[in-house]
Amino acid sequence: MRKKKEGALSVYRIIDLTDSNGAYCTKLFADLGADVIKIEKPEGDPGRNMPPFVDDIPHHEKSLYFLHRNAGKRGITLNLETADGRDIFKKLIKKADALVDNSSPDYMPELGLEYAALKKINPGLVMASITEFGRSGPYKNRKGSNLVDFAMSGVMITSGYPGKEPCLCPGSPAYDAASLYANISILAALHMRAATGEGQFIDVSVHETSRLGLYPWIVPNYSYALNPGAPPPTHETRMGASVYPVYPCKDGLIRVIALTPRQWDALVRVLGSPEVLTMPDWRSFLYRIGNAEDLYALMLEFTQKYTMTELFEAGKREGVPIAPILNIEDFYNSPHTKAREYFVDVDHPVAGKAEYPGPPYKWTETPAAIARPAPCLGEHNIEIYCKELGYSKEDLVAFRSAGVV
Amino acid sequence: MLPLENVKVLSFGTGGVVPDAGKLFGELGANVIKIESKDNLDFMRTIGPDINNIAGFNEANRSKRSFGVNLKSEKGKKLVGKLIGWTDILMENFRGGVMKSLGFGYESVRKLNPKIIYVSSQGFGGGGPYSDFQAYGPMLSSASGMLSIWAQPDDPYPVGSNSPLPDHMASKHVVIAALAALDYRRRTGKGQFIDMAQTEVAVSLIGEHYLDYTYNKRIAKPMGNRSLYAAPHGCYPCKGVDEWCVIAVFNDEEWQCFCSAIGNPEWTKEAKLSTLRKRLKNVDELDEHIRHWTSMLDAYVVMETLQAAGVAAGVVQRAPDTLADPQLKWFGSVVEIDHPVAGPRLYPNVPFKMFGASPFQSSPPPMLGQHTEEICRGVLKMSDEQIKKLVEEDVLHTPANTQGTGKSMFG
Repeated sequence: MRKKKEGALSVYRIIDLTDSNGAYCTKLFADLGADVIKIEKPEGDPGRNMPPFVDDIPHHEKSLYFLHRNAGKRGITLNLETADGRDIFKKLIKKADALVDNSSPDYMPELGLEYAALKKINPGLVMASITEFGRSGPYKNRKGSNLVDFAMSGVMITSGYPGKEPCLCPGSPAYDAASLYANISILAALHMRAATGEGQFIDVSVHETSRLGLYPWIVPNYSYALNPGAPPPTHETRMGASVYPVYPCKDGLIRVIALTPRQWDALVRVLGSPEVLTMPDWRSFLYRIGNAEDLYALMLEFTQKYTMTELFEAGKREGVPIAPILNIEDFYNSPHTKAREYFVDVDHPVAGKAEYPGPPYKWTETPAAIARPAPCLGEHNIEIYCKELGYSKEDLVAFRSAGVV
Repeated sequence: MLPLENVKVLSFGTGGVVPDAGKLFGELGANVIKIESKDNLDFMRTIGPDINNIAGFNEANRSKRSFGVNLKSEKGKKLVGKLIGWTDILMENFRGGVMKSLGFGYESVRKLNPKIIYVSSQGFGGGGPYSDFQAYGPMLSSASGMLSIWAQPDDPYPVGSNSPLPDHMASKHVVIAALAALDYRRRTGKGQFIDMAQTEVAVSLIGEHYLDYTYNKRIAKPMGNRSLYAAPHGCYPCKGVDEWCVIAVFNDEEWQCFCSAIGNPEWTKEAKLSTLRKRLKNVDELDEHIRHWTSMLDAYVVMETLQAAGVAAGVVQRAPDTLADPQLKWFGSVVEIDHPVAGPRLYPNVPFKMFGASPFQSSPPPMLGQHTEEICRGVLKMSDEQIKKLVEEDVLHTPANTQGTGKSMFG
């Protein structure tokens, strides 16, 4: 039998000190085959208590957020606030390629585990530290959260229904921006290490990554609009409904991306070329934005004659992007999703078996995959401490009673 | 040194995703060439009257060089084929099937460069009925389930944002895929093809809602700004028009800090708000009280008052706030870059610090075909004669024969 193909990053070991806020960074490593060892405090990652839960039963192995973002990792418990805990941690660091943490800026230095100390143990170690606002600067000690960082990202003011309060994007967009950049910076540092042999330290802030990364065009758009003698830049506000209008159809909602006159003409054809839509003024995008409410009232009559799928496919045929607005179940059942075999079975010893969203890409040489379910609390303690680090079972018992693991 | 020195990238990108990925490669030191054509412009060059003076295009295409070529001519294809032989990574986000019809599908390309890393990033991804459907950013949220819950519970229908999120999350996944594949190739000598679906990126970012369906058979509904485990957790109106501050209180300790920060008014002492569980239950009333407090204050006063007390709060910001943000100033997060047509403009810097690398580079966005001749000479080793001939034949595009050719897509 052919050996099962390994992931692209299967030679790497990543030590993961993140809680659920940085978990997406290391999930991406695990999807690509890296050995990610998630270290939790003996009482567990607070993310384990994040609702909703499997069967709505609050249980530290059943948080859906935790299960999704920690799938593919191994897990151990370790108390870094004990001397033995730090010794064990240093042994782990010795054999690690990268360390990711998202503790507060002073936490690791106070424990004597700052990068300079760890680098002495392992000169090739790459360490990325994710903090809310950065490890230095006037906001260093501020409190962040996904909502706070999304508000400050510049995307929230344009999110939500016109005239109502700005609306948070689902998921954890701000934390995931930080996770994505942390992942990229670690891969870049590993690339560099292949040439130099040296690891390095990386500082990632949720505030900065979400502000500059979620929608990098905000500052340039503003800057380009600042011209001597020109009108002041447009007031940034919630325009989703007029720029990319949403219309009801027979069985749901669609979103239309008609920007060019050609796309508008295609849209009119999709809707059966009703005379009222053929007025030349409508071909102008800016005219349509300026008269969004009138247009909406006109369009309703025609969009409601068709189903989501009919409009989606007719848009493709005529040359105007039309998207169905799928809910969770619709996407799950979509023929395209099925054809790509996107959802994959994952069997968790406590939470049970279910289909999980798979990695968002297919690789021809090194498959991306969810190799194992999210770890139960301390699930790999024996495997890692005894089999890999060489401690005896008696050591482990002693560590446990001393609150080390 | 820069982290990605000596990495070569060929970008067939349009719009947001692949251009943004190429920009990051360039900033980290890679040698990035954008393949462009005046006959089939990157649509982001057409959202204004001048192809070389568009904010979004120029932001997404900094730190790379532009090679202008007629992709439909045999001579043009031959030159692009040579660049394919030169590169380590090819990434593209044309509509599904376009690269293949140009003769640059993976199977053809690997004959020119067996070790190439080829990242294809489409809206829906290959291998299914929607593989050749066009997709702009706002369609990703629509078709992935994300938009269905990006709303307040009482909105007439969800509209999400006028920004193309999650386009710029998909672009980071492109970089991750390409770098991981490069790492594998460095160790094994093997290239490969990666087929990314941007809608699946969106799903991955809200995976917990999908597990709610597969484990619990529940179809998630919009929650607006509310949280299942924090209260208050919302966006509150402040003094002025369309000014807001968000507040997030996760536990009872933070709640006490919040109460004293706002002066312990009577309502904060009510028993029905004393614990997180109770506040979650009575959240409508709680939000009403907080709105009353915030609406009389400047959004920055709300943020500063609460942050001083250790409570997470943030102004719902716009571009000018970013430019004034003391933390971003401290980091040098915004940089000014001059451009021959656009002039000096502001752009975001790379938002992380690598302490073992030299400062990231940010070169000006290219005019269409700005580096065609330079690349012909330096990479393709062509003579000035050969280049001149192909420019005259309109096989090669340079600023000399492209300036003023564009037309705003808005007519």
